[in-house]
Amino acid sequence: MVTTRADALDQLELTLGRLLHAGVITSALCLAAGLVLSMALGRSAVASGALTMGLVILMATPIMRVVVSLVVYVRMRDWFFVWTTVMVFVLLSVTIFLAWTKAGI
Amino acid sequence: MSLLLVAGVVAAGAVAGGLGSLLGIGGGVFLVPFLNAGLGMDFEIARAVSLMTVIATSSAVSAGAAGRNTINLRLGMVLEIASAAGGLAAGITVERMSKGPLYLTFALVTALIAVLMVTRLEKRNVLSADVDTGLLGGRFYEAESDREVAYRVKRLPLGLAASAIAGAVSGTLGIGGGIIKVPILNAWCGVPLRPAAATSALMIGVTAAASVPLFYARGQVDPPTAAAAVLGVLAGSRAGLWFGGRARAKWLKALMALVLAAVSLMYFKKALW
Repeated sequence: MVTTRADALDQLELTLGRLLHAGVITSALCLAAGLVLSMALGRSAVASGALTMGLVILMATPIMRVVVSLVVYVRMRDWFFVWTTVMVFVLLSVTIFLAWTKAGI
Repeated sequence: MSLLLVAGVVAAGAVAGGLGSLLGIGGGVFLVPFLNAGLGMDFEIARAVSLMTVIATSSAVSAGAAGRNTINLRLGMVLEIASAAGGLAAGITVERMSKGPLYLTFALVTALIAVLMVTRLEKRNVLSADVDTGLLGGRFYEAESDREVAYRVKRLPLGLAASAIAGAVSGTLGIGGGIIKVPILNAWCGVPLRPAAATSALMIGVTAAASVPLFYARGQVDPPTAAAAVLGVLAGSRAGLWFGGRARAKWLKALMALVLAAVSLMYFKKALW
């Protein structure tokens, strides 16, 4: 079966939609659990762990969207969009690098 | 964090998210003054928390819109180069900006949004479906005319410039920035309103992700506050979509433009005193 370019893009849109949905649901669940736990137990390791996980998943979701798009454009051999996506990814990597080094982790 | 404060932040998020989805903008422009002026949090905290809700809104809205062909993934990725660069630049430099200019910027941008909201251009820009859409154009099903329509992207450098400015404003003030680029994409770049809005909603997630990790590393994302605001915004924007399908409220736009004008005045005062 030959898939056209338009089909591949429609498929990508659905894949990304599922990814974003999974990301936002997972992070909302972690945040809700963390919030309830921190109200019930005060400052605890479990509560702050859940909150951190929720926030990190939230921030990572759009970045994962860029990574998955990159993989798909490489597979499609759509070089213009491969380079476009690489540039966005590089910018996000600079942010993460600066955040990481500043946090001193 | 007290139960009362959590409830207050959830409510603020819900109201901001609800208004945002009713008006077709993110809720950040309401949430930031709510947290900053209403609940007395530092502007830095309000901005960082609001950007977290911007990402949540972006992911939730785009997940819901996927499969309708209104999101232009390729145009979005090209414009994201500019918006992420703008967000990153703001994330790095905004720390050196003092309160006065920051409040003044917020006052000017809210005034601009109030004006855009009431005068917003709604050009259709649609072509018949068999036309060549070029590298960045797209096709989508338009419910009003019950047919597939196509569009071509014009004046890309203008779209890139608008996205860069929207990204810088996003990282500086804690809003999504869609209100800045959607009217420009719609009025001058040939993109019909629905794909312009859907593409912008997708873009604001990456735009915010280019700045908010820096604020997170600086300890400005207070986790319980961010959790409460994100959950409130997600609930509120769902409720807003539900109402939005039932009521086309023109008066609401005018009312919110007035609210924003008042917010703008308040920040002008804060900046000048």
